[in-house]
Amino acid sequence: MPIQITGAMMLQGVVSGLLAGGLYAMVALGLSLIFGVMRVINIAHGALLMLGAYTTYWLFALYGMNPFLSLLISFPLLFGVGVLLQRWFVHRVVNAPELSSLLLTFGISIFIPNLAMLAWTADYRSVEFLTGSFLLGPIAFSKPRLVTFLFALGIAGLAFLFLLKTKLGKAIRATSQHREVAQVCGINVRRIDLIAFGLGAGLAGAGGSLVSVMFSVFPEMGQIYVFKSFLVIVLGGAGNYPGAFFGGLLLGLVEGLASLLLTAQLSEVIAYILLVLVLLVRPTGLLRGRA
Amino acid sequence: MRDSLILEVKDLTKRFGGVTAISRCSLALEPRRIYGLIGPNGSGKTTLFNLITGLEHRDEGEVRFKGERIDGLKPHQIALRGIGRTFQIIRIFPELTALENLLVVARSTGGAARRRALELLAFVKLDRLKGEYAGNLSYGQQKLLEFTRVLILDPELILLDEPAAGVNRTLLNDLLEAIRGLKEQGKTVVIVEHDMKVVMGLSEKLFVLDYGEKIAEGPPEAIQNDERVVEAYFGR
Repeated sequence: MPIQITGAMMLQGVVSGLLAGGLYAMVALGLSLIFGVMRVINIAHGALLMLGAYTTYWLFALYGMNPFLSLLISFPLLFGVGVLLQRWFVHRVVNAPELSSLLLTFGISIFIPNLAMLAWTADYRSVEFLTGSFLLGPIAFSKPRLVTFLFALGIAGLAFLFLLKTKLGKAIRATSQHREVAQVCGINVRRIDLIAFGLGAGLAGAGGSLVSVMFSVFPEMGQIYVFKSFLVIVLGGAGNYPGAFFGGLLLGLVEGLASLLLTAQLSEVIAYILLVLVLLVRPTGLLRGRA
Repeated sequence: MRDSLILEVKDLTKRFGGVTAISRCSLALEPRRIYGLIGPNGSGKTTLFNLITGLEHRDEGEVRFKGERIDGLKPHQIALRGIGRTFQIIRIFPELTALENLLVVARSTGGAARRRALELLAFVKLDRLKGEYAGNLSYGQQKLLEFTRVLILDPELILLDEPAAGVNRTLLNDLLEAIRGLKEQGKTVVIVEHDMKVVMGLSEKLFVLDYGEKIAEGPPEAIQNDERVVEAYFGR
């Protein structure tokens, strides 16, 4: 029997998709920042997201802390983790061939989840804080998704304000546009690297906090977000920060619409088909990419 | 080591694999002068700039700025000590505005930095384009912007890699005037330039590189008649 898709269903797909996309956008912005400044693809981004999720989970489980309030802890905590990772490991591969940084962050992406498994077991845990949904006309809004979307948008907005308006933010953008020139103009790019990795990790951690309100928390939970973030920055153009943002929303939208037509598993495949198509047709990204 | 020198390069050598890009090169620069650095393509002019500014590491020799060793320092440290440079191929920050290109490297912040940046933009007649993304400026305008970005750090030694290339005649006269003005302000300038008329007209003293070696130095008139220089450019 052919499936009948009504306008309302369509709108529901768009809304659900965009709500998911806000989170993708914020998490991918973190990955894009690190890539933009250092040309390092941080495969451990998902592991950092997982640490953010556990931070929120434990604060909620042990102290009953509001998960959204825990962003104030998970972001700075993961910022610190990012700075340490950069200082101890990643700075060694910044000017090395891409394979070195891929291998290094791949190693970290195996190490951290396994450490988490040792410490906290592989059990699925959840933060039962906000549930249910409300109807607005024919459209159902899931409460946790709507609130996480707003937080993701707010945090990404703050990150953009920082990049656009502050001197440090401009120095980060200058370094990602011309690393050598930034150096001979007196910008300490090592320090910029530390801040960029910290910020990227902080955004991943905040993403984890938000994910924990909607989905299960477990050591391997970050993997899917690495792939999605990678896809998002390919969509938006590698190192293009607004591109990462719109790429995130677009990915959510495509997934939301695909889930109307296909089963949930198949709609995941759509994302990868999109990845291959963009790489074939517009490898510099849908927005003006930076070569 | 003479204290009166602003820059002293001594027996500097740089190899890339089997190629010796700079070979036992020595230069002594006095303050408040304009120097020219010339030589055929591939003679090592830009490599020498890269070594002085710390973008490349020397294999042998030393570089002193105002008497202190700077070889081995990081590029941003060298920049903050007072050496500024431009690049042969323009390198502005394309996705920052013209004004932001200057503010992002300024050492001070707030009103003072902004006033100075606007002053510099006005100096090269780019003030009405201050809010434009640098990537949207014309080639000549980007060149001038890059030049003012050097000036905002107020360096004592300024290395200009082909400042005249691609700049139209009217702009060029302004630019040459600006470079002469730098000397009046007490700065030392080194210019790499292919346009012989420009470099001969500006420089008080020229250094000539060929295959990474300094083959001659002296005032423009002497260099023009130097046999080794003529040979390096035109062959035997």
